[in-house]
Amino acid sequence: MKITVTKRRALVLAASVGVLALGLAGCTRGGGTPSGDDSGAAASPGITDTTITIGIDTPLTGTTAGPGNCTADGAIAYFGGVNDAGGVKFGDGKTRKVEFKLYDDKYDPNTASSNFQQAQSDGVFAMALGLGTPTNNAWKQAALDAGVPQVLIMTGDPKFDDVSESPNAIGLVPKYQDEGEAFGKLLAADGKQHKVAIIEQNDDYGKGYVEGFKAGIGDSKNIEIVSDLTYEPTDTSLDGQVTQSAATGADVLFNAVSVTPLAVGELQKAQAIGWKPSIFAPSNTSSPGGVLTPGGAIDASGNPVYPGIYSVSFSNVPAAPTFASSENGQKFLDAIKNPAYYPAGASPQTGVPDFPHCVWSWIGGQILDQAFQKMTSPTRDAFMEALRSISGYKADFMLEGTSVDTTKDGSPAISTVVVQKFNGKGYATVQNFG
Amino acid sequence: MQLFIQLIVDGLAQGSIYAALALAIVLVNQATGLVNFAQGGMAVLSAYIGLAVVDLLAPAFGPGLVALAIVIAIVVALAFSFVFGAAVERLVMRRFERGDEDTAVVATIGVLTLITGLVGIIWSYNYQHFPWFFPIAQSFSIAGIGVSVWSLTTFLAVIVIMIVLQLLFMRTKLGLGLRAVADNPASAALSGLKVGRLLMVGWGLAATLGAVGGILIAPKLQLTPNMLDSVLVYALAAVVIGGLDSPLGAVIAAWGIAIVENLSAAYLPTIVGQDLKVAVPFAFLVIILIFRPQGLFGRKAVVRV
Amino acid sequence: MSGLRAPNTAVIAAATRPTPWWRTTWFRWTLAAVVFLVLVVIPFIADPYSNQTMTRIMMWAVAILGLNVVMGYAGQVSLGQIFFVGVGAYATAITLKSHWGVDLGLLGAVIAFVLAAVIPGVLGFLVALAAARLRGIAIAMVTIALPIVGVPLAKRFSDLTGGAPGISPSSKWFRTPDWLSGLLYDDQYRYLLALVIAGIVFLLVAFLVRGKFGRAFAIVKANESVASAMGISPYRTKVLAFTIASAIGGIGGFLYVVVNTFTSPDTLSFPNSINLIIATIVGGAGTIIGPILGGVYFQLVTQIPTALQASQWTTVIQGIVILLVLFLLPGGLASLPRVIRRLTAKRPDRHVGTGTAPAPIPGNPGTTKE
Repeated sequence: MKITVTKRRALVLAASVGVLALGLAGCTRGGGTPSGDDSGAAASPGITDTTITIGIDTPLTGTTAGPGNCTADGAIAYFGGVNDAGGVKFGDGKTRKVEFKLYDDKYDPNTASSNFQQAQSDGVFAMALGLGTPTNNAWKQAALDAGVPQVLIMTGDPKFDDVSESPNAIGLVPKYQDEGEAFGKLLAADGKQHKVAIIEQNDDYGKGYVEGFKAGIGDSKNIEIVSDLTYEPTDTSLDGQVTQSAATGADVLFNAVSVTPLAVGELQKAQAIGWKPSIFAPSNTSSPGGVLTPGGAIDASGNPVYPGIYSVSFSNVPAAPTFASSENGQKFLDAIKNPAYYPAGASPQTGVPDFPHCVWSWIGGQILDQAFQKMTSPTRDAFMEALRSISGYKADFMLEGTSVDTTKDGSPAISTVVVQKFNGKGYATVQNFG
Repeated sequence: MQLFIQLIVDGLAQGSIYAALALAIVLVNQATGLVNFAQGGMAVLSAYIGLAVVDLLAPAFGPGLVALAIVIAIVVALAFSFVFGAAVERLVMRRFERGDEDTAVVATIGVLTLITGLVGIIWSYNYQHFPWFFPIAQSFSIAGIGVSVWSLTTFLAVIVIMIVLQLLFMRTKLGLGLRAVADNPASAALSGLKVGRLLMVGWGLAATLGAVGGILIAPKLQLTPNMLDSVLVYALAAVVIGGLDSPLGAVIAAWGIAIVENLSAAYLPTIVGQDLKVAVPFAFLVIILIFRPQGLFGRKAVVRV
Repeated sequence: MSGLRAPNTAVIAAATRPTPWWRTTWFRWTLAAVVFLVLVVIPFIADPYSNQTMTRIMMWAVAILGLNVVMGYAGQVSLGQIFFVGVGAYATAITLKSHWGVDLGLLGAVIAFVLAAVIPGVLGFLVALAAARLRGIAIAMVTIALPIVGVPLAKRFSDLTGGAPGISPSSKWFRTPDWLSGLLYDDQYRYLLALVIAGIVFLLVAFLVRGKFGRAFAIVKANESVASAMGISPYRTKVLAFTIASAIGGIGGFLYVVVNTFTSPDTLSFPNSINLIIATIVGGAGTIIGPILGGVYFQLVTQIPTALQASQWTTVIQGIVILLVLFLLPGGLASLPRVIRRLTAKRPDRHVGTGTAPAPIPGNPGTTKE
């Protein structure tokens, strides 16, 4: 008796499972977006007649949250003002407002990759302005396969600038090599004997800076690199490295340090052991308010402690007194704090930003604006073409001698830098070392 | 030679950072038998409270009285940390103290995660500058070796705390009560000790200790929610190497770790170098644990079957 | 002559009581078939992003399954599981980029898979030899060392690993192969590939824990002295558990590359160690379905707040959830059905006022022994 019951039950269930299976298989998903480029005529996703949606994948929380938030906030603030004035008049005649979607990758490449897939699902037109090399690398191939632009990203890695390798991408800020080289050239031109100690971050950032620096000094006989030490971004202090460098008797410290507290600690430690070299600080850890003052670069009477702190830059810093008094500067400072400009859930900056990335992002926003105004049809191809055709453009806050040029294959949008020296309050462009 | 001595001095300073947190971990372990992964997080929270107080008072006090504002902030932060530590024990950890120790560790990990998240939301992840009595860069020179005033202060503070802890546990009734409660809560209760209260006091004291460490460290490392995460790992390593129940062992191990790290980075640049110097303390940890699982200074734990 | 005793009616009643319908074999097999069918058919009706999310969930479920073997079944805390995931990911990516991958096609992929399991397994074995005698915080510290030392090691051997920026095998590997093109979109292909691999691993572990190894794990976890008295070496059992866990973690690393076509030193970094442990316990340590739930939790606890533009809440939610689970649901989400049943169970033999208990009613869920 029991066996028959079981058999019957099994048959009934197998039948219903079979029907279920056929039913499910019957409804295949319609028009899912597989990989593949969009072709010209039809509009790309993320753009309508009235809006265009840009995705930003960047660390919003975690240890790199400071610069990470800034990489998004500048452009958001810029377009907030532009949207208020009616929007951008695109090259195809339509006026559109620019909307942003933010994704937090916590500086983890796996999360960044997942965020990119989410951005695609959310239907963004392009991805822009993200911070970080490993995170941008994680979805670089996926973006390429899907034809999604990955533009104006905050990394100095030159891979993104190569048109044949990454036709859908371009970096925003100068390559690490460019910055290092500018300082190397300055030092070599000085003619005097110099011993250089290097402290570099143990990744492409540090390697790029040092590579550029070495290229800049070339085979100048007056420059000798006496030590080259690395550190991990997770280290708690660079005291050991500073002590070792000081022991070499170097008079120049080439710093490829991108972690703010470590840079601060370096300045403190060097003074503590009585070592006062000339220092090169990279653009993202040269902020007077964020690094130099806490590091004690100015003593109690207002005099600089070190013979010279140099940096390379292409833009003014918001902390400089002249910034707030300039018209654009005030507009920037107001916009960056305005909560109305930010997407729901995102928090605006409070006060004057400590990181230069806020200004860089604003400039990035302006470059996007230029590209939008040039693109003649609402497609990603037209956008990339327009974006790569900007030259000689001077965005807000850019220093004398620098400009935006996206037409050079192998170069990011901004590749010109000037060397500046700390003058106790801010930075001023210098032509010579010393 | 000068480099060698400077590296050792640096190691003592750096090690004192680890030691400050390690002592708090030892205290919690001696008072409640648990290892608290949230020790660093609790210390950071107290440091933020201190910063909030300074930010509140400093404008009212004016530049001349900043030092007073800092002192008040420290007192408030320490008081807060005691209460907070006691509360965490009573509300969260009480449940896990009798059971599996791994579950208790996971509970402390949960507390750490929660604190870090809340601190990040309230104060953001930006680096905050913690004002101090003197500039951190201020230093003096002894026989050509540069010593920063901050390093000396931290070093001495650690020694004082270590002595106080040792005395607390060896000589005072409170210390004895804490150890009894950790060792055998049932018989401690039968002997008339107020077990619950002592557990709370133990955690409160440990949190205060951690807060002292956090406030000493914050001016140097710049305050951020994850400030003590790496320090915690080193502190735990120091505690495990030195012995979970020995303040002296933990401090010596902490100094040892930092010194050995510095020296191996400087003198073994190709094998170790700056990037792999973090492997050296852990290599020591593994070797010591294989031969002496209770740590260098610890007492052998006898498990009754 | 043994006296005849009255038959024990309660025992006979219990023995002849029919099993409740949800425990019968046919129901379980049918349920399995339905679940299997749904899992296979879903990618064809779901949108690409959902498929990608589910594939990621499977990847983490495998990694957590490995951690579960060591934590849930063998009872040891390991803060190093992410290290083995990372090593597996690197083994996969490096092999696929090497001449094996380029020249041998599908065979290269198989070699990559095998290495992704074997190399972490061997490393896990070596680590376990040193660590398996340790308890509590000591073993936690030894396992913490793995991701902490792993990151600079991965950076140092940059010729092999691509260094800090990471390494990316060609995306052709995880696109729909030519012989299937037209039938499957890429995201569906990756989903099904992950489903097959994860399914096999889960089945293997399920058989393992129901067999003699599983019993050995349980005894060692409960009481090591009893285990050695029974002739089971706790040390050897723990080493075995750790090795298996590492190998499974390595397979999770293979899936990591399937999903991301990329790996970098950040894959094996320390923060994910803690998140994996949280997810293991939230899912339910010591069960087979726990890691699946843990994988769902791991992926969604980051993904949902980010989608809601509230990503800073992820960390707070993680903290609250793990504490809630430890307090209210120590067996994790996997124990939820059991807990609900226990809370809603009727107890007919507890009548207020009557002196004698009535005979248990056959088939009543409240009186069935758990």
